Amino acid sequence: MKSREQEYREIFMAEALEYYDAMSRHISELERNPADEPALNELFRLMHNLKSNARAMGYTQIGEAAHHMETIFGLIRSKDMTFTGPVVTVLFDGIDTIGEMIRAVGADQEASDISFLLENLDRLVRGESPILEDTQEEEEANRKLELSDLVYIQIKKLDHLLNLVGELIIDRDRVLTLSQEIGNPALMAAAAHFSRIADDLQYSVMDARLVGVGSLFNKFPRVVRDVAAAEEKDVELTIVGEDIQIDRNILQIITDSLLHLVRNAIGHGLETPAERIAAGKTGQAHLTLSAQTERDDVLIQVIDDGRGIDVESVRRKAVERGLVAAETAATLDPDAVRSFLFEPGFSMAKQVTEISGRGVGLDVVKLAIDSLGGQLRVDSVMGQGTTFTLVLPTSIAVKGALLFVLDERNYAIPLMHTDSVVSLMPDDFHVVGGMLLARVQDENLPVVPLRRLLHNGDGPLAPASKAELNGRQDIIIVNYSNRKLGLIVDRFLRQQDIVIKPMSKPLDTIDLFGGVTLLGSGQVCLVLDVPALTRLFLARRP
Amino acid sequence: MKNRILIVDDSFYMRTMLKNMLTDAGYEVVGEAANGQQALELATQTKPDLITLDVILPDNTGLDVLKGIRQEQPDVKVVMCSAVGQEVIVNEALESGATAYIVKPFSEEKVLEIVGSALQDSESAQS
Repeated sequence: MKSREQEYREIFMAEALEYYDAMSRHISELERNPADEPALNELFRLMHNLKSNARAMGYTQIGEAAHHMETIFGLIRSKDMTFTGPVVTVLFDGIDTIGEMIRAVGADQEASDISFLLENLDRLVRGESPILEDTQEEEEANRKLELSDLVYIQIKKLDHLLNLVGELIIDRDRVLTLSQEIGNPALMAAAAHFSRIADDLQYSVMDARLVGVGSLFNKFPRVVRDVAAAEEKDVELTIVGEDIQIDRNILQIITDSLLHLVRNAIGHGLETPAERIAAGKTGQAHLTLSAQTERDDVLIQVIDDGRGIDVESVRRKAVERGLVAAETAATLDPDAVRSFLFEPGFSMAKQVTEISGRGVGLDVVKLAIDSLGGQLRVDSVMGQGTTFTLVLPTSIAVKGALLFVLDERNYAIPLMHTDSVVSLMPDDFHVVGGMLLARVQDENLPVVPLRRLLHNGDGPLAPASKAELNGRQDIIIVNYSNRKLGLIVDRFLRQQDIVIKPMSKPLDTIDLFGGVTLLGSGQVCLVLDVPALTRLFLARRP
Repeated sequence: MKNRILIVDDSFYMRTMLKNMLTDAGYEVVGEAANGQQALELATQTKPDLITLDVILPDNTGLDVLKGIRQEQPDVKVVMCSAVGQEVIVNEALESGATAYIVKPFSEEKVLEIVGSALQDSESAQS
């Protein structure tokens, strides 16, 4: 449970950064048009709020700076001062300084000395000229001596590093195996050392890719404001746990999902102020975006205090849609019923609204989370609200794989189990005992269309016939415990290092897939588990 | 019966703090408004016993809201929330029918003391 101080601090930070962004925008507007009264009024109001909030938090430096700035904006507003010349310079400098101070509070750092700014603001109030050139140049000169401890790096470069590490890991395994085959003790010791360093490097690179969840969360105050305004709802957003770390690409992948869940919550979950008050709630609805760590996972939650999900109505709809038999539906517990919400095309919205009816449905959110090897859960209490929980891995791991397309979807197959790839014409196949055989490099290999193997269900595969082979066939020959099997796919894509996450419960029971991966394009890609596929083929062959 | 309070402040931080203080002290916070328009709507909808009203609001000034509320609900207690240096507005607010005022940054004791005595006035006036 978070202490009230922590909660206040987080709210203060989120709001102060928002104020800072708005103030930066408004002062630029004012510079373009000094007669822009709304901008001036906003600057005054935001500075005033920042002052009050900072003082309440005990951040006296920020309070003091904001107080001085507010005074000047007040004077400009009452036409006792004009927004020109040195006044502009000092005020811009003031807003920059305030931004730095807010960030310093967020990073738990000492605030910088602001006596120079305060002195200049005081001078302006007294009608004196501020000190500009000399001191600032000196400051600039001093600043050049300090290099930041942080570097910014393009994610592309980190992706490249991760790919290199992936290749290194493959070579590490080869070197280890070779050294054992050769049996030279010095070589084996060197290989073991090399292996440890490669592991360490892999974890360091993964660690470098971690970012704070806040980098995504902090985009939401704006989203919530806009969506709430469009839906005529009054929504207060609380952000919790923005410092929780997660792989940057995972954050990228869940962006749309989170956006969808938030829009959904405001559009369908939360009621209008009038409805809420009629239901005995506060007119203002509450939405919380929260992140926390749970063992190796990151939990991200979207919590609303809206009307909740009507389990019985979901149950009825699931039966209407033919997703489940009525008798079975009646026996399902609420959790099982709510999981129908993640079925494709299952929308509970009575009317599709401008905001939440757009784009993806919950099934797509589910798919994105699955692609990360994560889970999506929903909990809800009628009349009290709904919570969507995304359970996500913190990081991702690397493997070499062959990518191919089947039914317009991308799949990957680990290179470790891939023997070769061939393209054959129908004449290269024979049917023996209902089984398709292909002659490849003086060997007769069993071949099966992967589509049939994946969608066969229980019971033996239907006997094969050459008639179903149309034109050139792309075949991946996999090899598992010396048993080769040809899989017919629609099209080969390429060989690539991929990052694989194992599928989590309950999906881990679908053992045909060893995990999921994400392509550079952001596409989801299931990774085939060759041992399981081979076992399935053996069990089901005609 | 619990006294019902409407909070009007454009800062979420301030609203949260006030709400916590008031709820902890046993009051019922019936609504929170972030601007003048919301304040007027919620005041009409919720008919609170007391309104805490920030002097500076994005759309109207707090004073306009005060006057608007006074026209509809002459009996509701209104506690103005202001910062140091706004004495001029506070005086005008008191003349326009505000019950009391609190100066930010405020302590919990001060808030409860002022809200408590503002409400007591109403009870003694009613009895």
